[in-house]
Amino acid sequence: MTKSNPTIQEKIIELDTIVAWFDSDDFTLEAALDKFKEAEALAAEIEHDLSVLKNDITVIKQKFDSEN
Amino acid sequence: MAASSVPMIFSVSDFIAVANQTFEYAFPTVEVEGEVASFKVNQGKFVFFDLKDAGGSVGCFMTVWQLRVPIEDGMKVIVTATPKLTQWGKFSLTVRAIRPSGVGALKKSFEILVAKLAAEGLFAPERKRLLPRIPKHVAVISSTQAAGYADFIKILNDRWGGVRVDVAHVQVQGADAPDQMIRALTYFNQQEVLPEVIVIIRGGGSADDLSAFNDEPLARAIAASRVPTLVGVGHEVDESLADMVADLRAATPSNAAQLLVPDRNEIIRATHVKLGSLLPRLLQAIERQQSQVRQTLERSLLAIEHQYDRAEEQFTRYRTVLAQLDPHVVLKRGYAIVRGQQKVGETIHIETYKAILEAKVERYDEK
Repeated sequence: MTKSNPTIQEKIIELDTIVAWFDSDDFTLEAALDKFKEAEALAAEIEHDLSVLKNDITVIKQKFDSEN
Repeated sequence: MAASSVPMIFSVSDFIAVANQTFEYAFPTVEVEGEVASFKVNQGKFVFFDLKDAGGSVGCFMTVWQLRVPIEDGMKVIVTATPKLTQWGKFSLTVRAIRPSGVGALKKSFEILVAKLAAEGLFAPERKRLLPRIPKHVAVISSTQAAGYADFIKILNDRWGGVRVDVAHVQVQGADAPDQMIRALTYFNQQEVLPEVIVIIRGGGSADDLSAFNDEPLARAIAASRVPTLVGVGHEVDESLADMVADLRAATPSNAAQLLVPDRNEIIRATHVKLGSLLPRLLQAIERQQSQVRQTLERSLLAIEHQYDRAEEQFTRYRTVLAQLDPHVVLKRGYAIVRGQQKVGETIHIETYKAILEAKVERYDEK
């Protein structure tokens, strides 16, 4: 993880990086299992984060019916 | 004779003033529908035209700044105006707002504006800015009572979360709607922390209902927005100037929400697919490694077998040679071994394959 509180988008990028690693020349069987576990954890976090996210909707008080 | 029967005598100015007071009392605001004739703009500021129908004609006056839509002779319009008698005794309507009336006039007005704004490059594809893939701060301009707004919010909440949504409640139809939307656009563009996208939405309606979105100043305000804009007005088939100048056009308010944010369920599905693709890759890598190890072992075994065969072959060859050198074999071939001093008179022992003989040397010649 690059940050202590990464955003969902950063987590998705992180997951994509891991997936790409499996196809790269850096791939080693020794590291693959750890990477796989990391990807599993990230996927679970992404799903959880997405499920609990709520929008913060505010109707602003400013009136627009006349010039202020 | 009653005093009340004596006609009141006005000065001309007073009469005009009283007439105007009467108009103001009786018709503070009138809406009059008719066909435009003799349309002209004086000094780039003052607009004059006649409004007529089969039975009559009335002069109209307004300023260029009040003219929100293109008007030309022959166009059917509705004016919002106050009747007035001028100081020269001419009756006219002082127009506050004018809008095309009927499908033909709306279409004509729309076409004139489209041509004008297109010539200025306001619809050019290169002007269109990309919207952020996942915005965190969005401004919405709509009527919070409109069905289109409710659809937008529902789809937005279903698809994504974590977005700060600031909503400006404005009229989205009627004469005041364009100015309200322009003020809301200005408001959001002047915020210290700008939203990443401004979304303007309104549900379906008649051509007249949606005509606010064909307002020229509104179209220009959208085009001039510092913040990228997304406009979703009416239904799929409806096209407005606001749509055309926006950075991105949505077919409907629901579609605006779809274009604004990704679908969380799709992302979750995609995440599962990505993760699912790793296991076969891992197993494939393990199989590849196993195969390599197996091949290495097989090669090693072959090498050992080869070395063994070579050693065995060599051993056999040595054994043959050794067998040829065995004294018994030599004796068997008819040779004999002579032991003892080879001098005349000495006793020697001669060993053949079958016997050992004792003999005396009687003669000794060097070869």
